[in-house]
Amino acid sequence: MSYLNNPAVVMDNGTGLSKLGFAGNDSPSFIFPTAIATAQPSSTKKATATTVSGGSGNSSSTNAFFGNTTSATAFNSSQTGSLLSNNLAGKRGTEDLDFYIGNEALIASQGPSYSLSYPVRHGQVENWDHMERFWENSIFKYLRTEPEDHFFLLTEPPLNPPENREQVAEIFFESFNCAGLYIAVQAVLALAASWTSSKVVDRSLTGTVIDSGDGVTHVIPVAEGYVIGSAIKNIPIAGRDITLFIQSLLRERGEADTSLRTAERIKQEYCYVCPDIVKEFNKFDRDGEKFAQFVVESQEKTRKKIVDVGYERFLAPEIFFNPEIASSDFLTPLPTIVDHTVQACPIDVRKGLYTNIVLSGGSTMFKDFGRRLQRDLKSIVNNRIAQSEQLSGTKSTGVEVQVISHRKQRNAVWFGGSLLAQTAEFKSHCHTKKDYEEYGPEIVRNFSLFNMV
Amino acid sequence: MLHLQPNNLLIQKTLSEAIEAYGNGTPLTLDRIISDFDYTTFHISNASEDKLTLALSIRTKAWQSVSQCTGGPGLVAYLQSKYANYSGISASSVPESGYDYTLLLDLGKLQPEAMKDLSLLKTLVLGYAFQLAFNEFVTLSAAPEGTESETNILHTIKYRDDENLFIKPSYDRITVIFETIFQDETDKVFGKVFLQEFVDARKRNRSIQSAPQVLFSHEPPLELQNAGAVASMNSSDTSRRFITFVLFPRHFQTPELQFSTLSHLTLFRNYFHYHIKCSKAYMHSRMRYRVDSFIKVLNRAKLDEEEEDIDQQSKQQQTRRTITGRKMVSY
Ligand SMILES: Nc1ncnc2c1ncn2[C@@H]1O[C@H](COP(=O)(O)OP(=O)(O)O)[C@@H](O)[C@H]1O
Ligand SMILES: [Mg+2]
Repeated sequence: MSYLNNPAVVMDNGTGLSKLGFAGNDSPSFIFPTAIATAQPSSTKKATATTVSGGSGNSSSTNAFFGNTTSATAFNSSQTGSLLSNNLAGKRGTEDLDFYIGNEALIASQGPSYSLSYPVRHGQVENWDHMERFWENSIFKYLRTEPEDHFFLLTEPPLNPPENREQVAEIFFESFNCAGLYIAVQAVLALAASWTSSKVVDRSLTGTVIDSGDGVTHVIPVAEGYVIGSAIKNIPIAGRDITLFIQSLLRERGEADTSLRTAERIKQEYCYVCPDIVKEFNKFDRDGEKFAQFVVESQEKTRKKIVDVGYERFLAPEIFFNPEIASSDFLTPLPTIVDHTVQACPIDVRKGLYTNIVLSGGSTMFKDFGRRLQRDLKSIVNNRIAQSEQLSGTKSTGVEVQVISHRKQRNAVWFGGSLLAQTAEFKSHCHTKKDYEEYGPEIVRNFSLFNMV
Repeated sequence: MLHLQPNNLLIQKTLSEAIEAYGNGTPLTLDRIISDFDYTTFHISNASEDKLTLALSIRTKAWQSVSQCTGGPGLVAYLQSKYANYSGISASSVPESGYDYTLLLDLGKLQPEAMKDLSLLKTLVLGYAFQLAFNEFVTLSAAPEGTESETNILHTIKYRDDENLFIKPSYDRITVIFETIFQDETDKVFGKVFLQEFVDARKRNRSIQSAPQVLFSHEPPLELQNAGAVASMNSSDTSRRFITFVLFPRHFQTPELQFSTLSHLTLFRNYFHYHIKCSKAYMHSRMRYRVDSFIKVLNRAKLDEEEEDIDQQSKQQQTRRTITGRKMVSY
């Protein structure tokens, strides 16, 4: 059984980006959009299909494999509604094999013969047909692994219905015959990833995880490795909303380039969280240096467009703290949501939840995001303590609030998975192909927790 | 569409990132594990304190059996010769512990062209046995008519736990035999269909007439029986099959042809299994579609409760309900 020496495969398929790699590494091997470009059933297909085929050879298409992406945005913003591939039409060709994933999908979908779709919505798999093919391609073509020889660690969002787990198990055991499977909750992995931070002293699996990706932000309390499901809160503000907000500002000013891609690049390269917006506005007005310019090169690197970057540098991430800037239907600031979440938990774990607030996901990468959150949350908590002291006339010992930022934050979920999957016990916690055949898909409803302490 | 490349993308990607970072003056700290088909693991790490050299190590199941193949310069020497043309690549005299072979890469001297060949390391290891066979073919076919002696050369590559690959050169052809076995019941069925298709496609499709002939059988082919290689196999397993590819000189006349032949053949098993998995995915998507359409039919057949309610109400007095809201039915 030499597969015991093979590294486990860790896959985190997010709404925007998929993080894929092998356990034991400190960063994912591949990061690309969770996107799939499928052949359209039109008859015009044949004529153009060859233009994008072939990964190697010309240098422009090999680039698609290289460089990990931080962006899940398609090149052409005018995205056509995703057509379902007509895999069930009377005459069956090989359309089901004609597809691209990841960056190659974004490139392919620029042409007329492919349509792009994102199989994961709000963290949950929506289109299993597409997801199955996405996995198949990522395992064989990108990771180059025979699934029969490897154990797999997959992630799932909080409150994922058990039926979805069973679907995953069906695909991994029946289509791929994978040797073993473990499905971990993203928030728990993010907690494990925070153990690398020097601020974390005891490696506990208790804490509040703020996971902000592309489509949704979750605030998830975890007590000893178990998610307190009833207290989870979602915020409909995440990476994509910030990008759209920047885009709208650029459009208002009539900048030379207002595509989503540009907005996203500006977000990642220039935005930061400020302590106080009024003061920050003043600073900008006094000091012209704060304004920046962003140069957009056209794809052929021939023409250049210059885009000015102004107040959006601090205004964009500010919508986490003052949502009224950008939206009219969701108005609660993130720190208040975090406070509500902890308050909704049993009283004996609240202390641990306040002292270990862990950030995870791409949209928490803004500079000083953690610091601002800690400050705002602290003042909410202190106000409440002061109030109750006044009412009861007793002295409180106070509550420590600590927000933890660390270096692995962006891909914290994947990194946590890599940490856990490289431990010796990992395989004993997986369900194997044999178990699956014995008991059926429902075995994956339960996984035993494990701790690497 | 679903071609698997012979080179390992991830090695290529990691090395080009390393070179780029080196060029920018911020060499990467690397300690990466990379996997490949058939129990192959690569390890890319910093070989020196100053991060100027990288170590690329490979461990692969096939190593032991390939290095035992006789008749050539030896596997290590062969690999050495493949990388000798590139500056900045040298073989480490002692492989990293736990690995079979280690190359040291000098980031300052490494050229981008070398990257592609480095990412082919695993293919080259397996390719050594093929190269030996190509060379032996030349000697055998040059031997004068009549002296044609049955050679006993048979290269065995033990590249998986219970599947082996055999290469047998002779004076007019090279025979490559794959042993396959399926763990999964469904795979057995798919595998059989695919194998039959491999054999039949050539007959049906004129445009691929020049492709190597493919045969498959339950019994070990004669080439193996003669060489006594089958002694070790337990013939009791009924799903064990032998796939034979017959290569003629037109398949390996030039070095380019040789490379393309060996890189396709070394990936054959992976490709085969990949396709079986794709077919299963396709079946699944059709099953999902069917279930969805059945559910639609069922939903259409549902009686509209509301309307029924109103009808009944107009006819009789109010329906009586239990405390949980169920309707009381009176017979
Ligand atoms: N440095 C950065 N600053 C701000 N946002 C970032 C940064 N890097 C990535 N992002 C954003 O993070 C999002 C992707 O985060 P990720 O956690 O991978 O999402 P998901 O798990 O939902 O796919 C994208 O919207 C991307 O624009
Ligand atoms: Mg995520």
